[in-house]
Amino acid sequence: MILKKLNGKQFTELITNGALNLRANYEEVDNLNVFPVPDGDTGTNMCRTIEGGVNAISKLDTESIGEVAKELSKGTLMSARGNSGVILSQIFRGICKGLLDKETVDATQLAEAYKLGVKQAYNSVVTPVEGTILTVFREATEYACKNIKKTSTINEFYELHLKQALKTLKNTKELLPVLKEADVIDSGGCGYVYIVKGIVKFLDGEKIEATLSQENEKEGSAPAMDFSAFGADDILKFGYCTEFILRLQNSKVDVKNFDVQTIIDVLNDEEISGDSIVVLKDEDVVKVHVHTKQPGIVLTKMREYGEFLTIKIENMSLQHNETMSEEERETKKKREHKKYALVAVAQGKGIIEQFKAFGVDVIVSGNQTMNPSTEDFIKAFNELDAENIIVFPNNKNIIMAAEQAKKLYKGAKVVVIPCVSIPQCYSALTMLDFSSDDLQIIVGNFKEAIHNVVSAEITTAIRSTKVQGINIIKGQHIGIINGKMALATSYKNRVVVDLLKKIPDIEEKEVLTLIYGDGITEEEKIKNVEAVQKKFPFLEIGAIDGGQNVYKYLIAVE
Amino acid sequence: MNKFAIVGDSTCDLPAELRQKYDIDYARMMVAWTDKDKKFHEMYADLDWKEISPKQYYDIMRDGIRIITAQVTEQEFDSVFKSHLEKGEDLLYVACSSGLSASVKLAQRLAKEKYSKEFPERKIVIVDSLISCMGQGSMLIRASMLRSEGKTIEETASELESTKLCYNQLATVESLEYLKRAGRVKASTAFFGNIFGVKPILVSDRVGMNHAVEKAKGRRNSLIRLSQMVKETVEKPELQTCYILHADAKQEDIDLLVSKIKEAVPTFKEYKVLPLGPIIGASTGPGTFGVYYYGKEVLVEAE
Repeated sequence: MILKKLNGKQFTELITNGALNLRANYEEVDNLNVFPVPDGDTGTNMCRTIEGGVNAISKLDTESIGEVAKELSKGTLMSARGNSGVILSQIFRGICKGLLDKETVDATQLAEAYKLGVKQAYNSVVTPVEGTILTVFREATEYACKNIKKTSTINEFYELHLKQALKTLKNTKELLPVLKEADVIDSGGCGYVYIVKGIVKFLDGEKIEATLSQENEKEGSAPAMDFSAFGADDILKFGYCTEFILRLQNSKVDVKNFDVQTIIDVLNDEEISGDSIVVLKDEDVVKVHVHTKQPGIVLTKMREYGEFLTIKIENMSLQHNETMSEEERETKKKREHKKYALVAVAQGKGIIEQFKAFGVDVIVSGNQTMNPSTEDFIKAFNELDAENIIVFPNNKNIIMAAEQAKKLYKGAKVVVIPCVSIPQCYSALTMLDFSSDDLQIIVGNFKEAIHNVVSAEITTAIRSTKVQGINIIKGQHIGIINGKMALATSYKNRVVVDLLKKIPDIEEKEVLTLIYGDGITEEEKIKNVEAVQKKFPFLEIGAIDGGQNVYKYLIAVE
Repeated sequence: MNKFAIVGDSTCDLPAELRQKYDIDYARMMVAWTDKDKKFHEMYADLDWKEISPKQYYDIMRDGIRIITAQVTEQEFDSVFKSHLEKGEDLLYVACSSGLSASVKLAQRLAKEKYSKEFPERKIVIVDSLISCMGQGSMLIRASMLRSEGKTIEETASELESTKLCYNQLATVESLEYLKRAGRVKASTAFFGNIFGVKPILVSDRVGMNHAVEKAKGRRNSLIRLSQMVKETVEKPELQTCYILHADAKQEDIDLLVSKIKEAVPTFKEYKVLPLGPIIGASTGPGTFGVYYYGKEVLVEAE
């Protein structure tokens, strides 16, 4: 529907659809509250806020936009909750001020009202913070106001408003360091964008799904996608991941003898130039997966053979974005000047990820059977621009190389923490705390953590022998505690608990970290954890899929 | 006229007994959650636990259900504030830290835009406590004592303003999960990483945010360290009560903490154990401890 002018009834519908759209997406907005952003429950709060406004206007029987505005303003103010909710209510309050005493408004008048919304919202906050809903709303309003003409429609106003809102939303990450660190967009701004999207969808004649069904899907809903990854000015680089199921039709082809090669050829032709093509046929059903920049042509052509049962098309830039920015961040981090930088030796995908999450800047690949060289360390140091470099080896044989690199390297003060195992390394990193800004204290904390940890390892005996009083048969599970052989057993589901029993002061310990190696079955994991819990109920148990080779379990007991 | 009303809110954690003794009123915030059967519950964050016991409340969180909280609403301020203003009383509101709740901002706006017009004769003074729980509670009690001494509302507010950073909090949580979920703690991701077993020690900093200043490995260590930190920061313990608040913590942990604090600072006038209120508890989770006392001015400030 194209609106030249907006009356009370239409305004009510716009706001209602804005609210519906937010309600349909509020959980995604809630999820944007990634630690450490102190801004909990934004989606829910904003939703409840605007719903209060909708409730106040839904039963009004008036054509006057001024009358509706008055009630909307009151309704949202009363139901406002949370920071973003309160700001949203102030936005409405300002807009509504501009609509009072009017029967209908045109786009220019609406724009003026929105300007009042900006003023009101900024005035309501003691210290306005940019990079939040405030910025999204302000820039979107400014842009729409600047670009509308006397003849513009209401639709054009909201389209312009949405266009800039999306753009600014994406940029919030650049404006607020907390967002950047957590790599999320601002939740309040995102909530606001959903409202405007709802309005625009309604103007485009699109119905927004009822909300109750959304509620039910709570548990299993797909992970939220960051739509800001593909903005209004982005160029389609990766195409669309296009998947569909086609029911072949007898009216169109010989279903029984249809050869899927026909479809593959079509997807391979120049016009579609698809890749990652997968086509499967089962009787009269064909399942297709293809990446292409021309999903429309694919769909049109496929109807020559049958009709669709389901279709799913996703912009792959959204999928790619995450890994891309991760890489960019990595390179950037290395160049960034740091007072303290961390280098750790590790092997195993999970362990490496965990160490990076702790704040390790460079991982030197290596373990007991693959010791990194002095040069490997120096290369790692060279990747950094730091005043102090703290190194975490994970083996006695590695400490040496690290110490050597320390002597040779002149670019920074290097400290090697004497960790001789991954569990020690892990424990030291969990106690990482730079807040003292004193190298001696920082290093002291690490050393204390290492001192307090009992480090245990479980692996498989590759031959039969007797070590430190323990008889070992080839293929048995063997347990090592602080570098000493402690156990050989054939019970794979009890091996962890049996080893822990050998730790003399286990009763005084509180925290157990299990780092699973490659190739342990789920059953083994569960059985082992259950046995430990039963025997040592006082231990707080945490597990990490370390993915290391050689050691089935690496264990830190603290 | 010297008589003025003293009002806190749902985070001040003053039980009925203390509110009565010191004649303190409070404005309620809200808590809400969706249970396993998809049923939505909403209730006032009541400091007397009339509708739900602390155990029942924290068991909801233990079941993995997220409890969400909402600031004091305009209606609630209307009803609580006006009940005093209509009686001709001036009003001192000692609010939950602005770093934790927007209630104080709403109250400031309402006072300026609404109540000042409806009750032009009345004074409303609002103090942003920059703390919560019994830190805020202790400030309210102090205000009441000053009122009894005959101090005016301005004199009372002024003393609170000049001393508020001396109301200390030392808190620790049983699991970091809840804080992370609620996103209500100030510390870098690297400080915590993705770690269990690590217990942060949280102070209420100069801007009223919960700030993790240290971490300890394991529950026992965190409680021992917390007790040492009380000793390092307390002043004149013999003149005050040490409030030990807990979110339905295990009795053995409560006993350990109380005994460790007594060991570290044996001279407090009293050691009082109380439940931690539903609002702060909703973001810190079951098992949280908060210790509140008067001491050295807090120097920590969020970057």
